[in-house]
Amino acid sequence: MSVIKLERASLSYGHVLGLSPTTFELPDGGVTGLLGPNGAGKSTLIQMVSGLLPPSGGEVLVFGQPPFRNPNVLSRIGFVPEGDRFPSGLRADRWLRMMGELSGLKGKELKDAVDRVLELVGMASRSRMAFSSMSKGMRQRMRLAQALLHNPDLLILDEPFNGLDPEARSDLMDKIRGLVKQNVRVLVSSHILGEIAQLTDSILLFFRGRLLAEGSVVEIRELLDRHPVELRIVAEDPKAVARWAVERSNLVALRLEESGAVLAVKNPRDFFPVFQRAVASGQLSIKALDPLDMNLDAVFQYLTQDHG
Amino acid sequence: MRNIPSAIDAIAAIFKGYLPRIFQARGWVLAGLTLTPLIVVWVVMIFDSTPNPARTSLELYHYGYGQIALPIIAIVAAPSCISEDLEQRTLPLMLARPAPAWTLPLAKGLLWFAWCAMWLTVTVALMPFVGLDPYSVPRKILALVLTHWAQLGFASLLLWFFKRGTLWAILFFYIWDPMVRVLPPALQRLTFTHYLESISISRYSGKAVINLFAQIQITTPLWLCVIILLAIGALAWGITGFRLMRMPVGLAGRETEG
Repeated sequence: MSVIKLERASLSYGHVLGLSPTTFELPDGGVTGLLGPNGAGKSTLIQMVSGLLPPSGGEVLVFGQPPFRNPNVLSRIGFVPEGDRFPSGLRADRWLRMMGELSGLKGKELKDAVDRVLELVGMASRSRMAFSSMSKGMRQRMRLAQALLHNPDLLILDEPFNGLDPEARSDLMDKIRGLVKQNVRVLVSSHILGEIAQLTDSILLFFRGRLLAEGSVVEIRELLDRHPVELRIVAEDPKAVARWAVERSNLVALRLEESGAVLAVKNPRDFFPVFQRAVASGQLSIKALDPLDMNLDAVFQYLTQDHG
Repeated sequence: MRNIPSAIDAIAAIFKGYLPRIFQARGWVLAGLTLTPLIVVWVVMIFDSTPNPARTSLELYHYGYGQIALPIIAIVAAPSCISEDLEQRTLPLMLARPAPAWTLPLAKGLLWFAWCAMWLTVTVALMPFVGLDPYSVPRKILALVLTHWAQLGFASLLLWFFKRGTLWAILFFYIWDPMVRVLPPALQRLTFTHYLESISISRYSGKAVINLFAQIQITTPLWLCVIILLAIGALAWGITGFRLMRMPVGLAGRETEG
């Protein structure tokens, strides 16, 4: 049985379409990454799956049931939202206890759960702090702790790595991997491919409210490789660069400028080693290399055109 | 099978969880608002050479509390019940839990009601020191506490439904309610002042009443007043909770209604 199933599910904010009709199914087990730039529809999807927003059209099923205000589904979901969302003036441990009670935990079971998650996120000794005194990393840990209190079958994390330093990021990734080993299904969103790629082989690629692609990291990378990348090569003799470039099969377009040449190349991962060897051997003399559009947004722009 | 908290469990959890909030700034402001009129009158009476304790205490009770302080207390406390969570965007974390969503405003409302009711009780219990008839204290406590229950629920409902809910609450409490003196009998029952006076079995007619339009003031039986004020509060929390059960509240807050 699929854990999450969307059947032409869409969501509109008034007249603005947050998510176009989207259909996919996620089987049980593992991590699935939602990838896309800001405004791609990842958070909208996450809010529908975590039961905060009902779809405007179509159907969202989690564990076979619609999640919106559905206690049977919500009792199996752990949700880590993006950003600071803690009530002011409350102490972390008291707040955690309340969240545990709201998940149906009581007595010793509640106490054990609070101790367990505080230990897991490394906040056992600092649990009596007020949220206002906590660092961003500590608050992120508390967000994770509240989601794990009731041993959820599905953990949903919305941009969990935002604002974390590399050590905290690596630590969080280890924790997520640990949870997956305990058969927790994880859905995690990010706008950075590298982050998602470290966690999972299963990616849903979103852009402007559409599901553009679905597949493994390798498949998505191949998709990205098909996107011609523009490179500005600054050289004293731009024509020599152009002569070298036209002999390459990766070249899609060439433009000469006063200070250099702008190349559009396919499969940049194949092109760069060849280029590097040419420069190292003295075949090419260059002053600088400036990738013009290797950011994710450019890739998404391309993918949109491809699928448009 | 997973544990799903009952409504009672959820209300108890939220009540306990948010309990520290009443010992913070807003809680003490509310306590101060409750006690200040009494203390001011007390001090004034100490220095007043011609005191009329019976009249002063009734003025304090009906005008100082019934018409001025009680609505302010409701307006100050109301945002803590639910609209504050929406503004601070802490609501989604609660709504992502299996507990019944309708219990959230009710539980927080009960917490702030209990806090304010305690201070109102203390205040009225001290009023005999400024001349209030000690035998009238129990009914006057009942009147203030029940009126506060209804006003708090009503103000929370307005704040939850309208972006300018505070303004609507102010207009109702300070424009409509004082008009009880000039309203025909049937409409008097649409004011909080009417029930407060009916339960208290006393009335304070301010000097500003325009005799030309003054109407005979009716009295509603105690039992009916109690039922109506309890019902207004319960209905207000019920409507707020019902809306919360139906209304999509996303991470961005109210604007995510789609």
